[in-house]
Amino acid sequence: MNKRVPLPPHPHPHPQEFDLKIEDIRKRSQISDIWKRLRRNKLAMLGMVIVIVLLLSAIFAPLIAPYDYAVQDLANAKAWPSLAHPLGTDDYGRDLLSRIIYGGRVSLLVAILAIVFGLIVGGSIGVSAGYFSGIYDGTIMRLMDVVMAVPGFLLAVCISSALGTGVTNTAIAIGIGCVPGYARLLRAQVLSIRDQEYIEAARATGASNVRIMLLQIVPNILSPVIVDSTLRIGGCILMISSLSFIGLGVQPPIPEWGSILSAGRQFIRSFWPIVVFPGLAIMLTLFGFNLFGDGLRDALDPKLKR
Amino acid sequence: MGRFTLNRLLWVIPVMLGVILIVFTIDRFSPGDPVAAELGAGYTQEQYDAKKAELGLDKPFFVQLFNYVSKIITKGDLGNSYHTGLSVTASIAERFPVTLKLAIIAIVIAVGLGVPFGVISSTRQYSVADHAVTTFSLIFAAMPGFWLALMMIICFSIQLKLFPASGYKQWNCWVLPTLSAGLSFVATITRMTRSSMLDVVRQDFITTARAKGVNEGTVIRKHALRNALIPIITTIGFQFGILISGSVIVETIFNMPGMGSLMMTAINNKDYPVIEGCVLVLAFFICIINLITDLAYGIADPRIMAQYTKGKKAKMKEAVK
Amino acid sequence: MSDNLLEIKDLSIHFYTDDGDVAAVNGVDLTLSRGDTLGLVGETGAGKTTTALGILRLIASPPGEIVSGEILYEGEDLLRKTDKEMQKIRGGKISMIFQDPMTALNPVLRVDEQIAEVVRLHSKCSVQESLKCALEILEKVGIPSERGKDYPHQFSGGMKQRVVIAMALSCNPQLLLADEPTTALDVTIQAQVLDMMKGLKSEFGTSMILITHDLGVVAENCNKVAIMYAGQIVERGTVQDIFNNTSHPYTKGLFNSLPSHQGKSKRLKPIRGLMPDPANLPKGCSFHPRCPYADRLCFSEPAELKEISPGHFSRCHHADKGADLYFPDEEINEIAYSMGFPPSNPGNDILGKGKML
Repeated sequence: MNKRVPLPPHPHPHPQEFDLKIEDIRKRSQISDIWKRLRRNKLAMLGMVIVIVLLLSAIFAPLIAPYDYAVQDLANAKAWPSLAHPLGTDDYGRDLLSRIIYGGRVSLLVAILAIVFGLIVGGSIGVSAGYFSGIYDGTIMRLMDVVMAVPGFLLAVCISSALGTGVTNTAIAIGIGCVPGYARLLRAQVLSIRDQEYIEAARATGASNVRIMLLQIVPNILSPVIVDSTLRIGGCILMISSLSFIGLGVQPPIPEWGSILSAGRQFIRSFWPIVVFPGLAIMLTLFGFNLFGDGLRDALDPKLKR
Repeated sequence: MGRFTLNRLLWVIPVMLGVILIVFTIDRFSPGDPVAAELGAGYTQEQYDAKKAELGLDKPFFVQLFNYVSKIITKGDLGNSYHTGLSVTASIAERFPVTLKLAIIAIVIAVGLGVPFGVISSTRQYSVADHAVTTFSLIFAAMPGFWLALMMIICFSIQLKLFPASGYKQWNCWVLPTLSAGLSFVATITRMTRSSMLDVVRQDFITTARAKGVNEGTVIRKHALRNALIPIITTIGFQFGILISGSVIVETIFNMPGMGSLMMTAINNKDYPVIEGCVLVLAFFICIINLITDLAYGIADPRIMAQYTKGKKAKMKEAVK
Repeated sequence: MSDNLLEIKDLSIHFYTDDGDVAAVNGVDLTLSRGDTLGLVGETGAGKTTTALGILRLIASPPGEIVSGEILYEGEDLLRKTDKEMQKIRGGKISMIFQDPMTALNPVLRVDEQIAEVVRLHSKCSVQESLKCALEILEKVGIPSERGKDYPHQFSGGMKQRVVIAMALSCNPQLLLADEPTTALDVTIQAQVLDMMKGLKSEFGTSMILITHDLGVVAENCNKVAIMYAGQIVERGTVQDIFNNTSHPYTKGLFNSLPSHQGKSKRLKPIRGLMPDPANLPKGCSFHPRCPYADRLCFSEPAELKEISPGHFSRCHHADKGADLYFPDEEINEIAYSMGFPPSNPGNDILGKGKML
């Protein structure tokens, strides 16, 4: 047993290959990963395609729409779909397809304005409340609770009826409804970031580099805001259409899906395209934003449900 | 629990006062002159002043506000319509039951269809049934209520002549409106039930139940669903506001004499007291519904009930156990 | 009819995932006689919990599947039983205790109701009687019966685990599968709960499979041990065999990763490397990448379980040679220290020389 036996060569490569590389771990939470996760979700991709189509058609409306939305052709009023007018014409002879395309532009514009308004005002309120805390925080969040007590649509109705119709007025009316939601969201983000251990850990490992900290904080605030906004745009567009439908919001001659629907109600028996197509547009838009928003939420935080 | 309820009820008051303030301010500071609108074309300064005094608009803002609030609290008087001069409270009282009935039936349909669909969808994940239900709910979640209403009218009233498109006296007048208001909600509840069930079914206590020998049906019903419904209760309360907003529009399409049509006429006439009154009543109603859902939430989940009822001392005692 | 209560033969359980097929349990053989306590030891991911769930056929069917093997309980193959028959067995003849007491109980049901449910399922008694039974068992596990009406969130971790144990033992099962029952608890509570389990076990005559990664717990509570690695049993035998005549290099590694309270070592001696990715197991012996004794044979050929002494099995090509015999003792210590590895017969470190169970 005391014989010296030569040691056989270590049969496998140096054990260092087992050690995890730190860089590998860090790279994982980057944009390419998010994109990969998003791509795997077919429904989310479908939503994204719809959203992109909407955006493009809104931006390039004058190039895509076969006619201008205000051009009347009374001789051809209430024409059924044909090659010249793929979706038919309305009661003034205006091409429905063009009106719907331009209507998309209006809806998107108002929705984005509303959200930006809500984000700026609500965001400032929320961030300051989270940062300063104390009585200021308490009072202002109570105020937000009060505004939230009125359902967004009813509040928008109230404000719209006071301010009147039009793109800016509607954007403000809806934007005010978005303010409390954003205020709460950003306040929660600021509060959670303040206490995060990884901020302390970053400091403890010597990363007093302000840029690194910004790279830690900002991405973590951004993702809930992006997800929330994407999901909210759909709701805003629905609200815009609903407001226009009941006579507020945006009214003719500016084309808006809701007002086209409303005007077409009287022809519901004789000429249903004027009622069906704008509604389809609304539905498709909402569908796209819902799918995309859901997919984005799942991709940005895979810890949530599968 | 009683104390909690009282606490929450008391909170309703400042919230409603705040809402009144906001709504009132919005209307009083908006462009447009209701006095002029009422008088129409051509009027003298005397007529203007008289009308203004009649509408109570000649007093300073805070006095108007104070009068408004005190009248509501003491007499439940929401003022009079600029247009018809009738009491707003009376008009609303006449029409509220229709809106309420519509909303309640819509919720019952939504929960009655949504929960079973969601359970089926979650227990048979990726099957044909699941895909069908998911597709259905994705489509209907994106469908605007008022458009669905119009589509249903085209389909069932005009083409098939199955249900009437207006009226409210017979039961079949209520089919299309409640479906229009409720189907979108069905979709939401289905999706929520599905995802809630999927979450719950993955949890350890479900495996424990199976390891005890409980049969699968009971596992789903007694163990999983009872836990999965808890977040859905909160969603219902949360979404109620959206449901009411939607049903208000649906009403107008079906010519039902509810608050929706009242509001629409008022909007057209710039009849602020009516608009304010409607918004206030609906907001109050939603507040109460939120309170009820919070209570229901506590009843369904004993952990939440514990939070509601225990004071600080009792919480400390528990932590030591 | 053997007197083995449970015989698992060549059990394989696979999981089919998007990232590949995982052989979580890969040809496991186990036997258990009445009255035994088998310690099933291994690191996280070795397949211990999956094996236990497989016995009760609680593997989630997508994505998992029991691919092959037999599980003979009292001579009958559990894998051929219908769902209804399995439901009768679960909780009645074979019970399971799960690892995390905080999530093992249904939060919306009272504790006495959760225990009474099991009782009603396996005996014909009324609701009243089952509740009374439940309270009796609660007393047995040291929970006053007044607490029966409380909800799980009102109990601490240790008490929750007692409730889970009460639930599991309420119908006098013959076999108890305990999946790391004390891992999630404080050390002082651990000792209490294990003692209580020991007492109940002898009172009811229950056999037990105790899944753990803690060799100290095995030493105190088990009479048989099976070591699992990468879905297979790599060593199996009585406690004396495993602790005194440790054969498989992995087992030795486990013993040596324990900080020695004998005072000699200055550094911790972990086993180098990581558990292999179950979707991508190494060819040959599954332990060879981490094994200091591995040679060409280990590289290419998977090892079979060999009986190196009566009742003591080891899955190692060099098991019969006894890896110690490969190198002289002093050389082992040199090489071992340079690689972070064992002095021989490390089991003695834990038990203290001469102390036997």
